[in-house]
Amino acid sequence: MNKAKVGVFLSDCGNQLPEILDFDALISHVKQVSGVALVAKASEFWRGEGLKAIVGAIKDKKVNRVVVAESLPKLSEVNIVKAAEKAGLNPYLVEVIDLKDHCAMPHREKPSEATEKAKAMLLAAIERAKLLEPLDKLEFPALKSVLVIGGGIAGMQAAEDLADLGFKTHLVEKAPFLGGLAALAGRFFPTDDCAVCIQSPASDVKTITHTSRKCVYRSGFTEIPNLDILTNSKVVAVEGVPGNYKVTVEKKPRYVNALKCVRCDLCTTVCPVEVPDEHNAKLKTRKAIYMNIPNVHPPVYVIDESACKFHECAKCVEVCPTKAVELDQKSERKTLNVGGIVVATGFQEYDSSVIKEYHYGEYPDVITNLELARMIDGFGPTGGEIIRPSNKKPARRIVIIQCVGSRDRRWNPWCSGICCMISLKHAMLIKSAYPDADVSICYIDIRTTGREHEYYYERAREMGIKFVKGRPTEIVHDPEVNMLIVDVEDAILHSLLELEADLVVLAPAMVPTEGTKELAEMLGIDVDEDGFFKEYNAKLRPTETKRRGIFLCGGATFPKDAPTTSLHAHSAAVKAVKFLNTGKIVKDQKTAVVNEEYCGDCEFCPVTCPYGAISLVPKGEEHFVAQVSDLLCEGCGICVGTCPVNAIELRHARPNQMSAQMKALMSVNGTSKPLILAMCCSECGHTAVDSSGMAMMQYPANIRVMKVPCTGILQVHQFLEAFKAGAQGVMVVGCKSDGCHYEVGSQKAQKKVELAKVLLKEYGVEPERLEMFNMVFIEGDKFAEAAQVMTERLEKLGSLQLMASS
Amino acid sequence: MAHKGEKTLSSTFPKEVTSRLGGETVALCYQCGTCASSCPVAKVTERFNPRELIKLSLLGEKQEVLSGSAIWLCCSCYKCQERCPQKVEIADVIYALRNMAIKEGNTPNIYSEFAAGLMSEGRIVPLSKFVEKKRPDFGLPPLKPAGVDALRKILSTTGFDKIQWKKEEAS
Repeated sequence: MNKAKVGVFLSDCGNQLPEILDFDALISHVKQVSGVALVAKASEFWRGEGLKAIVGAIKDKKVNRVVVAESLPKLSEVNIVKAAEKAGLNPYLVEVIDLKDHCAMPHREKPSEATEKAKAMLLAAIERAKLLEPLDKLEFPALKSVLVIGGGIAGMQAAEDLADLGFKTHLVEKAPFLGGLAALAGRFFPTDDCAVCIQSPASDVKTITHTSRKCVYRSGFTEIPNLDILTNSKVVAVEGVPGNYKVTVEKKPRYVNALKCVRCDLCTTVCPVEVPDEHNAKLKTRKAIYMNIPNVHPPVYVIDESACKFHECAKCVEVCPTKAVELDQKSERKTLNVGGIVVATGFQEYDSSVIKEYHYGEYPDVITNLELARMIDGFGPTGGEIIRPSNKKPARRIVIIQCVGSRDRRWNPWCSGICCMISLKHAMLIKSAYPDADVSICYIDIRTTGREHEYYYERAREMGIKFVKGRPTEIVHDPEVNMLIVDVEDAILHSLLELEADLVVLAPAMVPTEGTKELAEMLGIDVDEDGFFKEYNAKLRPTETKRRGIFLCGGATFPKDAPTTSLHAHSAAVKAVKFLNTGKIVKDQKTAVVNEEYCGDCEFCPVTCPYGAISLVPKGEEHFVAQVSDLLCEGCGICVGTCPVNAIELRHARPNQMSAQMKALMSVNGTSKPLILAMCCSECGHTAVDSSGMAMMQYPANIRVMKVPCTGILQVHQFLEAFKAGAQGVMVVGCKSDGCHYEVGSQKAQKKVELAKVLLKEYGVEPERLEMFNMVFIEGDKFAEAAQVMTERLEKLGSLQLMASS
Repeated sequence: MAHKGEKTLSSTFPKEVTSRLGGETVALCYQCGTCASSCPVAKVTERFNPRELIKLSLLGEKQEVLSGSAIWLCCSCYKCQERCPQKVEIADVIYALRNMAIKEGNTPNIYSEFAAGLMSEGRIVPLSKFVEKKRPDFGLPPLKPAGVDALRKILSTTGFDKIQWKKEEAS
């Protein structure tokens, strides 16, 4: 590498800074630093003439490293780096610091102290710049194809978006038919229209009946170009990396050829097998060859393997006019190569039978909301009549119980969020069809927080639905009159009620779909404490996961109503498109790299990496070394902080770069106070320092700020090194422990600080010289206060005596 | 209920309850009333309602809770506790409230009698000639002496004997 020729560009922020900082002194100080080839001062360097000066210096080969002191570096850096790259400099050889908000403003009452600190800051930036190494922009190929797992309302909408936008899309559904819970729900709140209504495809499938909204059955969904629908299929293995996933799908046989079936229904007429119909609350039976609901996709019969007698019977084969029944179909495995995966596996009703006092599964007239939905649906088993399963007679006294197994710390502590509206919908649909019906809802709190949802509740009251504020303790069955009695206290009336009912409907908790955990493991993503898929950031990245290229939508992350599910699905689709659109993934190389000579067989870094970016690969005989995937590495450095033998480093935060920076920051004091090194993470910690400066908060100039990618990179010996370099105290400033931008970095740092304190004590150094602080950007005051507190603490302690006798 | 205008609310009372053994879970209550509909006592008397008792405790109605009769009516069947969806240990909360009431000197006479009986005879229910006579009819052996001395030792170690059992008579 050529000798470093550093260009130092000092912005005086429109002549504002020289009022505080002595620029002449700074310039002459910088000029005598070895390796500095050029020093320039201007009003600003991130645009206009200033930026041109930087570009010119690079183009004229006067400099091969650039240090810029500019205000708002998080913003200005973008422009400066881009311009430097365009001028022919490797963009990773630019270092931008902030003399305004990190120095001049917080110390403006002590100009000479501020000037001395500025000298240290500039020296640190120069020393670091000299040691920076050119890095590459990495490009990884990305397939413009996506797998959507789950063919409910979320998966269908995401798949449709993706296919319409030109991505080869595979939609995998484990059931034989699409539609998920929506297909069974009948109607949706708050519009009371069909649950099978979906957005019309924007694709080429435009028919004469084209409207903005369509039934699933009018939508031509199965004919959308680019969309490959795999029903009766399950994901069994996922390999590969973002942009290039290899997914193995097992497709169970349908035993009916979709290309031949003409939906004549002769097969179901001759089929001799009758089994309870699980799609219809088991209120009727179905044949071994069947369709779950008439308006379903794909509109092709399926044979239930567990019920069919196959060649022993084969009546359907004989009767089928198009020879569509193929009893010898075998299950097959397919490999799908996709760039991204959208998980849309939804939720399901909790098994209410565990709540013994409600006797679900024991008393036939105790049913769930989904079972009631089947009864209300005209396509359903009773043709819309509300009956008592025990005797098939009409039910007219109906009690609905909310929060069954949800908001219940014994089973599922969360509020499922949508059940209040579902129950209101059911109550009103029953009341409209049978005005003489007596419908009561037992509730703890009615939660109608969505748009127009409160009006729905209002209408229910107007219609005469009764509301009982209380959670029933028990459902009792009186066998003599075959009646159910719901034992409940109405807290408002202060009275104990015994509600008589023909039918009791439970509103069970909505829980993650069976198999969620296994799928999460296969995909390498997390589930939350409630068992739902965990998004990368609930606030800003609600459809992303910690694994790039894997997205979430719909009820897979939490129970959702249809409008929210739609929003979520479209959002996930856009995210997948954004990720894969250019056919490549561009990433910088600020990644970790392993020194294979030092790396032993320990498994610390692969286990600690929050992104699964490190794997152990064999090297020689019975020896393994860690290998970092540049694609998966997010550049946090948590592995660095974990490695016991310093065998792994971050390319953009090497130990020598950090230690040169540290020494330089400690090189000048200029105040009468003890020097303190504040090691701040580049996310919340460093920006909190920014915000304290922006708000003109004052703290002493003995505080020296060093930016690290994440506090998780820090090692115990670095704290000791800081003391050796001249620090009297060390502050570690990271994100909140549950808000770390790299998941666990802040927690890891906390542990290391605690460990280092023990060591310091052993060495006879007061452990309170080292402290961890957690804050977010807007807590600039917290940083200023911490700086003040630490300074006062160290002043009290007196100067550091290494190896002092205890 | 507290009289109107009378300032009886104690803001520290809920904290006092949670800090006592058995009272820790009281603040989890969201007033669903499962306890009330589970309660066999509430079925027969309006003087006791576990949901209401917890609400009053959380509101800080210290006087009403500790000097009222409700806390003494719980029969400790634990059905409410079994079924509470928030895992509020209702029966145990009531024990905590009883302990607080006794500390305040609010002990119902019957409990004072129990305590006195325990200290003097080693039994909370005094033996009557009638009981002694009837036992053989049910095939029960005669009762053995209760070992009062050992019991007193235990009660004195636990501080039971130092509790002021009798509510001071209002003049």
